[in-house]
Amino acid sequence: MTFAIATRGLKKVYKGSVEALAGVDLDVKAGDIFALLGPNGAGKTTLMRILTTQFKPTSGEAHIFGLDVVREGAEVRKVIGYVPQETSVWSDINGYENLLIYAKIYGLPSRSRKEVIYDMLESMGLRAVAGQLVKNYSGGMIRKLEIACAMLIRPKILFLDEPTLGLDPAARIAVWEKLTSFKEEFGTTVFFSTHYMDEANAYSDEVAIINVGRMVTSGTAEELKHSLRGELIKFSLSDRRVDEHTLGRIRGLERVNSVVVTDSTLNVTVEDAETALPGVMDVLRSGEISVVRIATTKPTLDDVFLRYAGTMRGSGAGARTTGRVEGEAGGNRRE
Amino acid sequence: MNDSLRVVLAMMELELRRLRNDRTEVYTRAVQPVLWLVVFGTVFSEIHAIPTNGVPYIDFITPGVMLQSVLFVAVLYGLTLVWERDTGILKKLLVAPASRYATVIGRSMSSGVRAIIQVLIVIPVALLLGVRFIPNPAYFVAALAILFVISGGFAALSIIVASLLKTRERFMGIGQALILPLFFASNALYPIALMPHALQLVAAFNPLTYAVDAVRGLMITGNLALLPLDVAVIAFFDILMFAVASLSFRKIIE
Repeated sequence: MTFAIATRGLKKVYKGSVEALAGVDLDVKAGDIFALLGPNGAGKTTLMRILTTQFKPTSGEAHIFGLDVVREGAEVRKVIGYVPQETSVWSDINGYENLLIYAKIYGLPSRSRKEVIYDMLESMGLRAVAGQLVKNYSGGMIRKLEIACAMLIRPKILFLDEPTLGLDPAARIAVWEKLTSFKEEFGTTVFFSTHYMDEANAYSDEVAIINVGRMVTSGTAEELKHSLRGELIKFSLSDRRVDEHTLGRIRGLERVNSVVVTDSTLNVTVEDAETALPGVMDVLRSGEISVVRIATTKPTLDDVFLRYAGTMRGSGAGARTTGRVEGEAGGNRRE
Repeated sequence: MNDSLRVVLAMMELELRRLRNDRTEVYTRAVQPVLWLVVFGTVFSEIHAIPTNGVPYIDFITPGVMLQSVLFVAVLYGLTLVWERDTGILKKLLVAPASRYATVIGRSMSSGVRAIIQVLIVIPVALLLGVRFIPNPAYFVAALAILFVISGGFAALSIIVASLLKTRERFMGIGQALILPLFFASNALYPIALMPHALQLVAAFNPLTYAVDAVRGLMITGNLALLPLDVAVIAFFDILMFAVASLSFRKIIE
């Protein structure tokens, strides 16, 4: 199987010996929407710019659909689309003209050019403003135009560097609806970096977290959340206090990580709430403790991010595990 | 080759479309050459201080002023690239399937598009001041071609500077420091024979000298004796600049 992206030991050292990438191994399956998360300065943009052939890695290798980004850069550029973080359209011409110039640079056949451009404008909801100068566009319209430019050649993979930065919630949803539809309609692989955990959670098939130039973890959002083994079950109790003996029995249960009791609430941290709950209930019942209400809280992707990338640069990050998440939750994809 | 030509043409078209939407820069940039002709040209015509082989002084400097205008547009073209660097445009262009030679030549020749438009504004002003052009359309077109091509070379020089300096502030300083010596150490305003020996040597290595000579011969004097040399020097200059700029271009985004 050919991966859309495959890197091995990818390193980049900038002048002045700043190590932006410290050996990145990454596999992205064709047709996936892949989210790259990481704190500022973690190496997200550097990785993306190497993968899009803008500059060469110091060592290691990277392939896009089997093509080497260093030796076969020209071939790579024919199959990728790229939307940088900064605005990348000309603001002193209109939306149609932006697409026209890119269509000509990319060599779209002149017979179908106009049709392809208008189809793209239509599908991105920009048809009505196609004749207006881009300097009068809103942030969301500019981003959609940039995605339209990148999608003109129907790339096999689309790279987006923080695609929804600074957009309002409605524009963010609109952008993601389009990106998801490209995946479904054309099988386009989408590789994006973001600081919005909710987007990674909702739209990505797989997530990787990069920190201090290394991949610290990767997997589906569900796998990563599960990997924290930190689901919280909160029991609201009727007035009777819980005796030490019962607490001890709960602590002794398999897969229970911690038990904390306050006045009338009992907080139990477990690996997996669904499987741990019956056991805890049995103990409580046998101790004749009546429960008024049970709430379970699962970790969010924010918790995952803070756990893996929450520490400051250089504070022992290298010691963290760098393996993929294995586990019981395999195949448990997002809803 | 066909692909590269297509990219070059697309970039020239981009420049025309940008100009169509905002013409103010064309007019503001016309002020300086017009002042050179109207003030400097008419005054020095009156005092007959500079021997010009019987050609009226204002006629003599018209090609020089045109080339100064071209030089301005071309050398400051690097600013456009610095701006495109600050936005994501250059990154996106580098990721497009176009060779960097085509990208560099395309961007350079885009400045030629702007330069020709500046020249076309200077011509009616020169006619009003009584400058007599050689009424030969073929010569006229050839002169415009020279202006267009030399503009590409200077714009490529500007791309080299931009890719080394990278910021607007640093670029502005060097931009001015490039334009004025190139202009004054050439035959734009006075014949080379009048210069001190050291400056004559500089002028001989200044590609602007050859462009001025070619345009002056084609538009004003009809003296085409050195035209083949002029064309050869300009072609060599362009190829050299395009090659170096293509090599340095990628540095601009790093």
